Amino acid sequence: MNNRYSNFPDINRRQFIQAIAALSTSWPMTGMASLNILGDSHKDTYKNLSDPWLTLASVQEHLFPAGDSLEQASPGAQDIAALRFLRNMLEAPDTDSEEKAFILNGVNWLNDLSLKNNQTKFTQLNTENKETILRQIETSNAGSRWLSLMLGYLIEALLSDPVYGGNKDQRGWKWLEHIPGFPTPSVDKVYFKLGAHASAKRRTKA
Amino acid sequence: MSKDYDVCVVGSGAGAGPVISELAKAGKSVLVLEKGPWLKEDDFFKDEMACCRRNTYTPNLEDEQHVIEEETNNGGWVSEATSESGWDFWNGNVVGGSSNFMSGYFYRLKPKDFRLRSEFGPIKGANVVDWPISYADLEPYYTKAETEIGISGHIIPHKHQEPRSTSDFPFPPTSEHPIVNKIDKACDELNLTSLPTPRAILSRPHNGRNSCEYSGYCGSYGCHSGAKGSSRAALLDGAVATGNCEIRANSKVYKLKTNNQGKVTEALYFDVNDKPQSVSAKLFVVACHAIETSRLLLASTGPKHPNGLGNNYQQLGKNLLFSGGGSGTGEFHYSKMDQLTATAMKTRGPFVNRGLQDWYFFEDKAFGGKAKGGVIDFLLRHPNPIAKAMSMRFNNDDSLNWGQPLKRDLKTVFTGTQDLRFEVFNDWLPTDNCFVSLDTNIKDKWGSAVAKVRVGYHEHDLKVGAFLANKAESVLQQMGADNIRSSISGSPPANLVAGGCRFGDDIKTSVLNADCKVHDVDNLYVTDGSFMPTGGSVPYTWTIYANAFRVADIIKQRV
Repeated sequence: MNNRYSNFPDINRRQFIQAIAALSTSWPMTGMASLNILGDSHKDTYKNLSDPWLTLASVQEHLFPAGDSLEQASPGAQDIAALRFLRNMLEAPDTDSEEKAFILNGVNWLNDLSLKNNQTKFTQLNTENKETILRQIETSNAGSRWLSLMLGYLIEALLSDPVYGGNKDQRGWKWLEHIPGFPTPSVDKVYFKLGAHASAKRRTKA
Repeated sequence: MSKDYDVCVVGSGAGAGPVISELAKAGKSVLVLEKGPWLKEDDFFKDEMACCRRNTYTPNLEDEQHVIEEETNNGGWVSEATSESGWDFWNGNVVGGSSNFMSGYFYRLKPKDFRLRSEFGPIKGANVVDWPISYADLEPYYTKAETEIGISGHIIPHKHQEPRSTSDFPFPPTSEHPIVNKIDKACDELNLTSLPTPRAILSRPHNGRNSCEYSGYCGSYGCHSGAKGSSRAALLDGAVATGNCEIRANSKVYKLKTNNQGKVTEALYFDVNDKPQSVSAKLFVVACHAIETSRLLLASTGPKHPNGLGNNYQQLGKNLLFSGGGSGTGEFHYSKMDQLTATAMKTRGPFVNRGLQDWYFFEDKAFGGKAKGGVIDFLLRHPNPIAKAMSMRFNNDDSLNWGQPLKRDLKTVFTGTQDLRFEVFNDWLPTDNCFVSLDTNIKDKWGSAVAKVRVGYHEHDLKVGAFLANKAESVLQQMGADNIRSSISGSPPANLVAGGCRFGDDIKTSVLNADCKVHDVDNLYVTDGSFMPTGGSVPYTWTIYANAFRVADIIKQRV
């Protein structure tokens, strides 16, 4: 249907549904209205991680590492709570279900390859081996698309309004000297609670 | 037979707002059917995710889309659904339409724009015609829009200044970014007339609306203060307050039903729950975006109109217009400035508000003598940070960029330069290769055929665009910019659309008469940008507002 996904060979519907079910139970979106950001607190986001989140966090940190020989203060993926952002976006009502499945299944795929090449899961690899394996998957269309999506969510996590769960304490904006506009959205007025999404929701209910 | 309403208006954007507001104020009962939701000032934030990263104000392309037909290298045409290509042609499907999200560069047409064919002669392959009305007919309504919509600016006399019935704008210009001093200086040195750009943005409070808050995020964003002259903020709120106007949001009209006399009797629409509904009125007005207006009329077949309303001579959907031109950029590196200048250049908030009209008309041998040119507008690079960063995911060889190299690139692009851009607007000549029809395969989620749009352009448009871009680059050069580049193409800008129902005196060559009434339908008017036979070389919105005020006066006499 959508040719963006046609190059990815192994989206398995059943696996996907299981993954989403697991995602939903571990990530309740109710009862969070009192928070001023979407999703969990930052502390909990990275606490006791298990897959797929453990691997995704590790990939994010590799793609967007903290520090730099030139730029000591630059934030990394965990500093901006990129994983929390990603989890929030995968839960957002408008996120394409195939895209969700694609990202989550990519974790299995990456770990399978890592076990094959290095007899260990991705998170256990050293930086050099992580780079090698990510550059290796980049050579396939599906792998390149997966990495490009991960980078896209990282950049959104770095520079979107903190209400979406990334850009923690505006660290992305501060690092890049970005001057945000005002007013900024409250948790009740994030994009999927407005406009086309809100009316679509009303339709479903009625 | 009694009717539910005096007037039923389909759409609520810039072409609809003046009709709605004028008729409601005149005591007529007005029903507005708007496909999108009704968002208010309290719903608009400076949120890049909402405005620009997700489909908040526009439909999911799987639900509602277009089919775009492009020319292939060997002269054939190939069509692709936008749900496949991702090329989104929606602008703003909410109450007030895309006027909520405009940048508000407001220009009038000039008298010669109304008679392009007479002034400049025919161009082979282009269907250039004179308008059935003159600038003098529209001038009072351009003036009316200045106050009603709230247009700020300042008149500086120049050789192409159009005549005005008032000496200056009712509102002074909005605050200006320090970079305008550099632009003005360079233009002076080049003997060009740097002009303040009029904007549909309030520089002081008016009619219960606040003035601009200068957050620096304007185009693409809904306005929180009410300063932007959207149809919603400037007209609809007041219309509703009269008690004579009802706005039904989330109401998608799919057909206008006509009787044996060829008059429209009912608008058929799907409500918020996707239930089919109908409403009757004495008179109907369609203004729901140029492409969608043609689509609705094509779908509205009836006993006297077997090919759609206004299509008995196969004119409907033809001569669709976009805007010719393109854009360019020059970089100003902070490292080459003293700290005070750098700080000033980093300012976020005020507008650049500068443009050039020196070549609106010009003489050049390469163009066979006198020719129609266009305008150049200067603006800062859009402040959207995610959009800016996204392109850095890729290296020049299309490999992915990550890790420290990505971070270094981000740091450089975000903190190294202020980028001044320019946009060129010139005529998109009407041709037989740019039109709207109904696609025979793809339907929207309600089962109606979607619009198929052929987007061919005329080579002349590129020639004029390149001429103007070259002039704009010379200004950036004079300013000392680095890495100056520009791009002129025949790719249609989806946010600048008009035509498809051109107005004229002859039913055989036009859809609407000079009053913007469908020639052979007594009670149907079209008041969005569809009426324009040629587009002029400026953004269309002010002309759409002005013409809708003009037609409102005509309709007022009838109901």
